[in-house]
Amino acid sequence: MNANTPRQDSAESGPEREHEQDVRLLSQLLSGTARDLPSGRHRFHKERLMAQIHEQAQQSQEGRTAAPVAPARTRRLRLPRLAVTLPLGAAAVAAAVVAAMVTNGAGGSGGGGLATGPALTTDVGTATTSGVPQLLDQISLAAAEGEHPTVKPGQFIYVESRTADTFVKTVDDKSSLASHELHRRQVWNSPDGTEGWLIDPAVNDSSEGETLSLPDERGNPLEAGLNHPTYDYLAKLTTDPDKLLAKIYKETEGQGNTPDQQAFTTIGDLLGESYPPAELYSALFRTAAKIPGVVVVDDAVDAAGRHGVAVARLDETSGQREEWIFDKKTHVFLGERVVQVNQPKGEGEDALMKPGTVTFTSAVITRAVVDGMKQTPSREG
Amino acid sequence: MRTRVRAGDPGAFAELFDAYSRAVYNHAFRLTADWSTAEDVMASTFMEAWRLRDRVDPEGGSLRPWLLGIATNTARNQFRSNRRYRRAAGAAAAAETAVPDHADEVAGRLDDRQRLAAALTALATLRRPEREVIALCLGEGLDYEAAAEALGIPVGTVASRLSRARRKLRAVTEKDLGKDPGKDRGKREVPRPARQTRGDHTQAIRPAQEGNR
Repeated sequence: MNANTPRQDSAESGPEREHEQDVRLLSQLLSGTARDLPSGRHRFHKERLMAQIHEQAQQSQEGRTAAPVAPARTRRLRLPRLAVTLPLGAAAVAAAVVAAMVTNGAGGSGGGGLATGPALTTDVGTATTSGVPQLLDQISLAAAEGEHPTVKPGQFIYVESRTADTFVKTVDDKSSLASHELHRRQVWNSPDGTEGWLIDPAVNDSSEGETLSLPDERGNPLEAGLNHPTYDYLAKLTTDPDKLLAKIYKETEGQGNTPDQQAFTTIGDLLGESYPPAELYSALFRTAAKIPGVVVVDDAVDAAGRHGVAVARLDETSGQREEWIFDKKTHVFLGERVVQVNQPKGEGEDALMKPGTVTFTSAVITRAVVDGMKQTPSREG
Repeated sequence: MRTRVRAGDPGAFAELFDAYSRAVYNHAFRLTADWSTAEDVMASTFMEAWRLRDRVDPEGGSLRPWLLGIATNTARNQFRSNRRYRRAAGAAAAAETAVPDHADEVAGRLDDRQRLAAALTALATLRRPEREVIALCLGEGLDYEAAAEALGIPVGTVASRLSRARRKLRAVTEKDLGKDPGKDRGKREVPRPARQTRGDHTQAIRPAQEGNR
């Protein structure tokens, strides 16, 4: 794609100086007409082009295969091009996850009735730094295409995911690895963040779930921020990647193992269980592209067993790599996981986390706007 | 790249857009004398490129000539009559030079504006086929073969159109740039300016992510 086409002087046969003079003058003249596209127009046109391409590509594909996918279901998920992978996802949950974890029978602890499994493990994918900007660019474009609805007061954002994690359990001075087996997690949040409900068997004491409404029982008022964002907060956040990154570094100062890792993790947390406007969603990826040390991992599996490519960053201190997993073709966000990549330093409990251990994994199954707390979107969408 | 374009890989088109949208935009401006029309032409060019992807020759070098050729056709459809071009060029040239004297306007930028006005005036004196060849060869630096490929005409036709266009333009450019041809010839021993680095040619090959500033 190199554009260094030779100037036509080389093709000029006669070394006529007058002609050379001519060419020089004309070229100077014409170089004065070169300009950049007006600010923001490059991105605007690129997104429009890519949206049209995806639309047409999808149409021609549907025309060819007419696969019996569930259109209503996929539309509700706002993951339009997941049509093929999604129905497989459910079945893959059984296969991939069962392969990774064998349930140990009953006998959990309070509030974590699921804390029974052995450590989750996986194959550690290969990381490379090449292609990171390109991949994030594609992801950001895919994100800009998605339709994210606006949330009205009185409505709730509903996020359903599958999640599991591995942790060190200590009983009578004896430490061992345990895990919360794969389970469904459902969260409802009002746009202003004052009302919410969580159903997560690994967290709740009751199968009914628990309230997230604020102020909580201690009277803590709501303070939205990067680490506890509300929809309203996210909708107002800047979509300028440089400004956003500066804000993230500033507000997470002193947190985490390194500023870069903390910035990456902060963005990751915003991706996992939120439903921000498409502009911000897209901007998050452009922001992540600016964090040093971000890599591409060729293969990663989310908690629903869906394989994808991951954007990741290794926390050198803990030896754990946080991976954001995307569909290889559509670049739609699937889920996140944290994998122990290097042997943890030191002799402590952490040393139990062998490389290949999955300390946390999740898959986003549904994101929707619903009219009431504990209401789930209807199957018809 | 050609293989990926033919296969309809969206990523390939994203890369093409990052690399060449600016060149296509500028080329379209030279053919329409209107920046906002040029933007429309640029956008349609890439959509058209997607539509015509399987006509790309699997063998060959840069796809820039191909895209510039599509842009030329698209601009032609937008701007059929030469009279309309002349009117647009006149208006644009006037707009460029009529900008009030900003004290902080850098001299070089003012120069650029004058050069642009001169370029438009010069291009308006040409017939459309001549203008297309001039825009491709001198504006975008294509060689004869690439220009012939872009326009779908024989190389010889490119050469003859170009020399005719040059003869017409010579008088205009010398006058408008305030250059005395005799004086210029006298300075011939002075090293020639590095013309290759002028204009947009260096930036035509930008890394993909730069498009997102």
